[in-house]
Amino acid sequence: MSGAMAPAGGVERDQGRNRGRDRGLDRRRRLRDGLATLLCGLATVLVLLALFSILATLVWNGIGGLSVATLTRVTAPGGENGGLLNPIVGSVIQVALATLLGAPIGIAAGIFLAEYGAGSPFATAVRFISDMLLSAPSILVGLFVYLLLVAPVRHFSGYAGIVALAILVIPIVVRTTEDMLRLVPLSMREAAAALGAPRWKVVLLVCVRAAAGGMATGVLLAVARIAGETAPLLFTSLGNLNWSTRLGAPMASLPVTIYQYAGSAFDDWVQLAWTAALLITAGVLLLNMGARFALRRRGER
Amino acid sequence: MEPDANHRSRAMPDSAIPAADGALSAAARAMISIRGLDFHYGDHHALRGISLDFPARQVTGMIGPSGCGKSTLLRILNRMYDLYPGQRATGEVLLDGENIIAPGTDVNRLRSRVGMVFQKPTPFPMSIRDNIAFGIKLHERISRSEMDGRIEDALRRVALWTEVKDRLRAGAGALSGGQQQRLCIARTIATRPEVILLDEPTSALDPISTARIEELLDELKQDFTIAIVTHNLQQAARCADQVAFFFMGELVEVDRADRMFTTPRLKRTQDYITGRFG
Amino acid sequence: MSQSVRTATWPAAASAGGARPSGFGDPLFGLLVRLCGLLVLLLIGGIMLVMAFGGREAFSTFGLGFLWSPAWNPVTNRFGALAPVYGTIVTAVIGLLIAVPFAFGVAFCLTEMAPRWLAGPLGTAVELLAAVPSIIFGMWGFFVIVPAMARHVQPLLRHSLGQLPLLHTLFSGPPFGTGLLTAGLILAVMITPFVAAVMRDVFNSMPAVLKESAYGLGSTRWEVMRLVVLPWSRQAVIGGIMLGLGRALGETMAVTFVIGNTNRISASLFSPGNTIASLIALEFPESAAGSLKLSSLLALGLILMLISFVTLFCSRLLLRRGA
Repeated sequence: MSGAMAPAGGVERDQGRNRGRDRGLDRRRRLRDGLATLLCGLATVLVLLALFSILATLVWNGIGGLSVATLTRVTAPGGENGGLLNPIVGSVIQVALATLLGAPIGIAAGIFLAEYGAGSPFATAVRFISDMLLSAPSILVGLFVYLLLVAPVRHFSGYAGIVALAILVIPIVVRTTEDMLRLVPLSMREAAAALGAPRWKVVLLVCVRAAAGGMATGVLLAVARIAGETAPLLFTSLGNLNWSTRLGAPMASLPVTIYQYAGSAFDDWVQLAWTAALLITAGVLLLNMGARFALRRRGER
Repeated sequence: MEPDANHRSRAMPDSAIPAADGALSAAARAMISIRGLDFHYGDHHALRGISLDFPARQVTGMIGPSGCGKSTLLRILNRMYDLYPGQRATGEVLLDGENIIAPGTDVNRLRSRVGMVFQKPTPFPMSIRDNIAFGIKLHERISRSEMDGRIEDALRRVALWTEVKDRLRAGAGALSGGQQQRLCIARTIATRPEVILLDEPTSALDPISTARIEELLDELKQDFTIAIVTHNLQQAARCADQVAFFFMGELVEVDRADRMFTTPRLKRTQDYITGRFG
Repeated sequence: MSQSVRTATWPAAASAGGARPSGFGDPLFGLLVRLCGLLVLLLIGGIMLVMAFGGREAFSTFGLGFLWSPAWNPVTNRFGALAPVYGTIVTAVIGLLIAVPFAFGVAFCLTEMAPRWLAGPLGTAVELLAAVPSIIFGMWGFFVIVPAMARHVQPLLRHSLGQLPLLHTLFSGPPFGTGLLTAGLILAVMITPFVAAVMRDVFNSMPAVLKESAYGLGSTRWEVMRLVVLPWSRQAVIGGIMLGLGRALGETMAVTFVIGNTNRISASLFSPGNTIASLIALEFPESAAGSLKLSSLLALGLILMLISFVTLFCSRLLLRRGA
C-alpha cells in the first residue's frame, strides 16, 4: 500500500483544506472497511446460528421426552419405557463428590500461588502446568485414572469416576482462586498482620473471606465443566444400566448414557439420549451463566 | 490472664533513656527508644543513623517530604517490613528495654503490643463485631460476655458505639470512610496495645471525619503512646506533643511541637514548615 | 510516600529478619498449600509416566516403528500409530483453518464493531457456546451436520472444488456425511468460541491510547485492526490459536460421533478415519486388560499427551499472563 500513501499529485479537485486528498483512495479504504465489517458480522451471525441450532435441536428433540416418568424411572432395556433416574443420580453423586475432592486441593494450590508463590520458580512452574492442565485432553485423564484405580482392582467404580472428574476440577479452581485472591488489596493483609495475626490466619480468615464470592464462582464454573464431561468417565465409572449408588461399583452418569443411547437402534433410547442432552446442557449453561453473572457483578463493584 | 496489666507492670521499672537531644521534658518516660537505626531496602539505604525517643502517653508526629523515610520508620516499630524480603534494619529499637528488631522477637506478640492504623481504612470483609473481635481472639481467650464488653468499650472509645450499636452484625463495608477508619482504630485498641502507630490516618478522609479522628487522638493519648505520620503540618501542630522532621532518610530535628513550629533551630526545618520545599 | 517496594501480593520468603515463628500454624499451613501445588505439578508428570508404563508393551513389541506404521489390525495383532495420528492432525488443522477466521470475525465484532449494549449479550452467547459439553456437539454433529454434509455440502464440494486439478483427491469419494471433513467442521464450531474469547481479551487489553491515536489520524476500524491492533497483539493471538489447536487435538466426544471409525489413511477428506482420542474411546471397551491392543491404545495416549503438551506449552508461553 506504499503507493497509496503518497500524495496524489495532480488530482487537485478541491480547493482549501481537502486539496491533495485522493477521493478514489478514500473510497477504496471505506470499501475495504465495509467489506471487513460485513464479513466479520457475517462470521458472528454464523457462530450465533450454530449456538442457536444446537439449542433448538436439543429443545426440539429433547422436550418431548421430558416427563415425570423419565425423571423418576430407572434405565431399562430398549422398548421397555426406561427413565433417566440412575444417570441423573449418578451424575449428581459423582459431580458433587469430585467437587468436594478437587475444589479444596485447587483452592489450596491457588492460595499457594497467590500468597506464598510470588517470584518463586516452583510457583511459576505450578501456575504454568495448571494452566496447561486446563486444556489437556480429558480422555487422557480417564486413561490415567483407569490405570491407577481401575486396572489394579479389575473393576470400574464410581470412585474412579470421581477422581477423574476431580482432576479436571483442580486447574479451574486454582486459576480462579489465584485471580480472586490477587484482587484482595495488600492493605487488608497488612492490617491483619499488624494486629498480630500469623500469616495463615491472615490468609484464611481475611483474604479467603474477602475472595470467597469469586472463589465460589470458580467452583461453580468447575461444576459446570465436569457435569458434561464424558470421556474421562468412559474408562472409570463406565456407566451402569441398573440402579446403583455404590461408589465401589460402576456408576451411571448422564453424559455416558447419552453416549451409549444416542447411536442405538431403539427409538426410546434415542429419545432418552436427547432428553438427557437437554437436561445436561440446560444445567451446564444455567450454572455457567449464573457464575459469570455473579463474577461480572463482583467486578463492577 | 490479663495481658494489659502484665505489660504495664513490666513497664514500671524506669527504663527511660534520656532523649537524644535533651529537648523533651524530662518527666516523660520513653516508651520506645531508637538508637542508631539504619534501614535498607535491597541496595537502597532508606534510613541513616536514626536516634529518637517516643515519650510514653504522648503523641509524636513525624513529618517530612515524600520519600523521607517517616513511614518506613513507622513500619519498623511493629516490624511490618518483615513481610517483605530484602529489607533489613540494624541498630536498636527498644520497647521496654527490649530490642525488637533483634532476631528471635515474636513479631505477632510485638504487633499485639504495637498496633497500627493505615492510610486507607481497612475493614475486614466481616461484620462490625467480628472486625473488633478478630484482633482480640488472636491473643486472648475470653468469654462471650467479656468479648461483648470489650467490643462495646472499644467502640465507645472511638465514639462509634451509638452509631453502630444496632447493627453490630452488619458488614463493616457499609460504613462511611470516616466510620471505617474509627472502626479500624477501635479494632487496634481493642487488643490493648501499648503503642499505636498511625500512617497518615486521615489522608483519605473528609475534613469533618479528620477533625473527629484528631479529637480522638487527644483522648487516646491518656492510655497509649502514639506515633503518627502525617503530610499535614497543621495536623502535626494540632495533635502532636513532639514533632520529628525527616529528610532524605535522616532525622533532621526533633522538638516539642510548639517550639518546632515557632522557632525551629535548623534552616532546613524552617524551609519545610514554611512551605519552601516538600 | 515513603513506602516499601510492593508487589501485587506477598513475596514468597517472608521474615527475612529472622523472626521467631509463633506456633506451628504457619509452617503447617505453608507446607499444606505447597503440597497441593506440588500435586498439580505431579499430575502432568504422573499422567505421562503412567501412560508410558501402560504403553511399554506396544513400544517394546513394535519399537519406534509403532510411530509410522499405518497398520491397525486386532486380528493379526499389528498396531501402528500413523493412521490415528494422521486423523488427529488433519481434523485439528481443518478445524483450525475454519475456526480462526470465524473467531477473528467474532472478536473484531465484539471489540470494535458492536455497541456496548450488544457486545455484552453477544459475548455471553459466545461464552455459552464454549460451555456446551462436547458430547452435545457430537450429538448435534451426528444428527444435524452429518445429514446436511451428505445431502448438500459434500456433493456441492465435489462438483465445485473437486473438479479442480489439485483439489480433486481431497474432495472425492462417496458423500457419507461422516469423515475427516465433518469432524474438522464440528471441531471448528467447538473451538471458535475459545479462540474468539482469547482474541477478544487480547484486543481489549491493548492500551486505548494506541487505538485512539490511530483513529485520530482518520483510520477506519479495519485499518486500526489490521495496522495497529493485530501487529501489537500478534504473539497472544497466535497463543490463542495454539490453545484452540490443543483443544482440537484432544477432543474426544465431538469427533467420535462423526469420524466414521476407520483406521485407514485416505487422501480424501470425505473418507472416514479416526483420531487418537476417538480410537481410544471406541476401541478401549473392546480391548482385554493386559492385551497388546490395550497397550497400543495407551501408547497412543502417550503420543497424544506429548503432542498436546507441546502445543499447549507453546500456547502458554505465548499467552503468559502479564507478558
